[in-house]
Amino acid sequence: MGEEKTIRIDPVTRLEGHGALTIKLGKDNKVKDIQYNVGSTRFFEKFLTGRPMEEAPRIAPRICGICPIPHHLASVKAVEAAWDVTPPPAAVKLRRLMIEAKQLSSHAIHFYALAAPDFVFGPFADPAVRNVAAVLKHLPDVTVQAIKIMQFGQELIRDVGAKAIHPVTAIPGGMLNALTEEDRDKWLKQIPELFENVNKTVELAKTVVNAYIDVITKLAVTPTYYIGLTNNGVLDIYEGNVRVMGPDGKVVADFEPKDYTKYYGEHIPDHSYATHIYYKPAGYPDGIWRANTLARCNVAEKMATPLAQEALKEMRDLVGRPSHHTFVYHYARIVELVQAAEWIKILLEDPLIVSDDIKLTDVEPKAGDGVGIVEAPRGTLLHNYTSDEEGMLVHANLIVATNNNIAGIEKSLMTAAKQIFEDKALDSLKLPDPLVKT
Amino acid sequence: MAKRIALAQLSSCWGCDQSLVDLHLGLLDVLPKLDIVFWPTVVDYKLADLEALPNRSVHIGMVEGSCRTKEDLHLLKVMREKCKTLVAWGSCSIFGGVQGLANQWDLKELLERKFIQAETVTDPRIPDENMPGFTEHITPNPQIVECDVLLPGCPPTSENTLDALTALLTNKPFDLPTKTVCDQCPMERKEKHIKKFKRNYEGNIEAGKCILDQGYLCLGFATMGLCGAQCPSVTTPCKGCFGPTPIMSDHGAKIISALGAVAEMEPEELKGSFPDPIGSFYFTDYAASYLSKMRGKERGQEH
Ligand code: SF4
Ligand code: SF4
Ligand code: SF4
Repeated sequence: MGEEKTIRIDPVTRLEGHGALTIKLGKDNKVKDIQYNVGSTRFFEKFLTGRPMEEAPRIAPRICGICPIPHHLASVKAVEAAWDVTPPPAAVKLRRLMIEAKQLSSHAIHFYALAAPDFVFGPFADPAVRNVAAVLKHLPDVTVQAIKIMQFGQELIRDVGAKAIHPVTAIPGGMLNALTEEDRDKWLKQIPELFENVNKTVELAKTVVNAYIDVITKLAVTPTYYIGLTNNGVLDIYEGNVRVMGPDGKVVADFEPKDYTKYYGEHIPDHSYATHIYYKPAGYPDGIWRANTLARCNVAEKMATPLAQEALKEMRDLVGRPSHHTFVYHYARIVELVQAAEWIKILLEDPLIVSDDIKLTDVEPKAGDGVGIVEAPRGTLLHNYTSDEEGMLVHANLIVATNNNIAGIEKSLMTAAKQIFEDKALDSLKLPDPLVKT
Repeated sequence: MAKRIALAQLSSCWGCDQSLVDLHLGLLDVLPKLDIVFWPTVVDYKLADLEALPNRSVHIGMVEGSCRTKEDLHLLKVMREKCKTLVAWGSCSIFGGVQGLANQWDLKELLERKFIQAETVTDPRIPDENMPGFTEHITPNPQIVECDVLLPGCPPTSENTLDALTALLTNKPFDLPTKTVCDQCPMERKEKHIKKFKRNYEGNIEAGKCILDQGYLCLGFATMGLCGAQCPSVTTPCKGCFGPTPIMSDHGAKIISALGAVAEMEPEELKGSFPDPIGSFYFTDYAASYLSKMRGKERGQEH
């Protein structure tokens, strides 16, 4: 008979953010409680207030250095919504180029640096080698292809946003800096190599998925609601309506960003500073939703671009729609990586991308309330600001991407922990030989 | 031989980390020179592993972020104990960072706004189970423990971080420049006749010409010149994210006196141009300012 015990994993590694995990086991290894403890928050909602509202897009990126572009853009969209400003089409294209470039680099870094060590060395490898430095040592070619994708994304962001981390060029009414033809041509030249590396990534992902299919389809399978942005049903990370899908696959809501308070509930757990966002009409915990790659691929009818659509179809043939398989997040990440690469190509080939008609000159602040939503790599991101007549920010509400996932993470951890501790699933799951033995 | 390095993140955005990763292929040269003993974003060592190391056994410690929680304070102190050379990495670490702006409010107000009053909250409470608790206000790391090297920036550029690491790996000093962003800026400067300050969405900022001359608040003149004038080079005002030069001087005081000298305006009118002087003049370094310290004293707080 086992004793009661608490397992604490502190910090949870290979993620950005301050997370620790507390697992409480009762006698006989019964899982009594799972807590995902997020131990930090910095109060942006409060200290954004009292500032000229056009400064918010400069401040907000500091919420996340891994996904500052979505914050920059959700922020500027919120200001524009409050002031009733519509930026010129060419400015919107530049913004989209920036966010697709971020999607590309973030998905690559996640897949290769954060997730791949588990697949490459196997989940039971020594922690000392289960990291990207070891991937570099054992698979230098794969590392170089990963780095090239990340570099493409990050440096393209820098050409549009001046800084890859905490970009500065989006401003209410448009963009402050045009893309030069010279820069555009430089990027177009690199497109073939990008697609080569993206294709290799897709192949690697498929190999991994097939090798781990038993784990993927059996472990941590967790039905929840899903939330994501779609543009007429098509997966879109810059603009559209917010769509919510129920665990049974039915779309239960499809609404404009400004109506979010009807659908968004925010549960404050006693054990995490990151709050749990959920589908309010269903209540908590029944309405727990998940965001991020798999959620977007679940709620969308289809992808926006042909190769990504092919990849989505292949994924759905394997795991269905909706997929509740937590590990399929990795697969969906690759589907989206393909869409980001295709979008980048489309945008660079668009003559408007080098237009200098990118900024309104007659923007006037006014009192109002504005909601800006985009998709960050890790999920639907919402900024809601209230402006006074002078354009000072008097109130802010932020629902950051990750908070849409915290309750879902706990829920799928609970499923996995029960399987592992109570049902001894690890004895029966079929694991492949690691790609690299250490 | 590789040097042992620990990279720790206090409350932060991870941007300083990302900027190191953005060395891209350059990483392939640097990584083999480093024996990483702690870097939660990337490797699987836990806090207990760091705590178990002998004191002063790690050659280089990089600390990103500032102390918003009591756990951050603990981690900062552990890093100081374990590392021979401690680097305050980024503006959060040196000055408190953008989250230092929260020092304009009491902790109670911050907590209430986030956990009690937010319009989406359905069951308000302040989380306290297995939670570290918050610091009353943000104190810059060098005021809590001794920091041997200061590398400002929000974030420092990848090259900045590489330069600092290279200096540390080769036992060379890492000195900060006395230059300002203006000294690195390609915009053409003329004599200043600023009669009115414009907000940055107004009109069009003309390329090639000094942004401040055009009547927009560009803080290049008071800001450490280490970033290569990234923002003004693309007609975007500098917000001063690298902090003041010299490094520990008061950013706001410098800015105000300089603006007083170049603006052809009555003092009242000048003051009226900046309804949010704290946010405008202390973007990432309010926690390090005299003003913030005074507020902390009024509240009778240490960290
Ligand atoms: S200094 Fe800036 S980039 Fe670095 S952690 Fe702080 S907010 Fe992020
Ligand atoms: S004030 Fe700004 S634009 Fe003018 S020279 Fe200095 S950094 Fe450049
Ligand atoms: S130009 Fe100013 S705001 Fe921009 S990165 Fe440099 S110091 Fe920071």
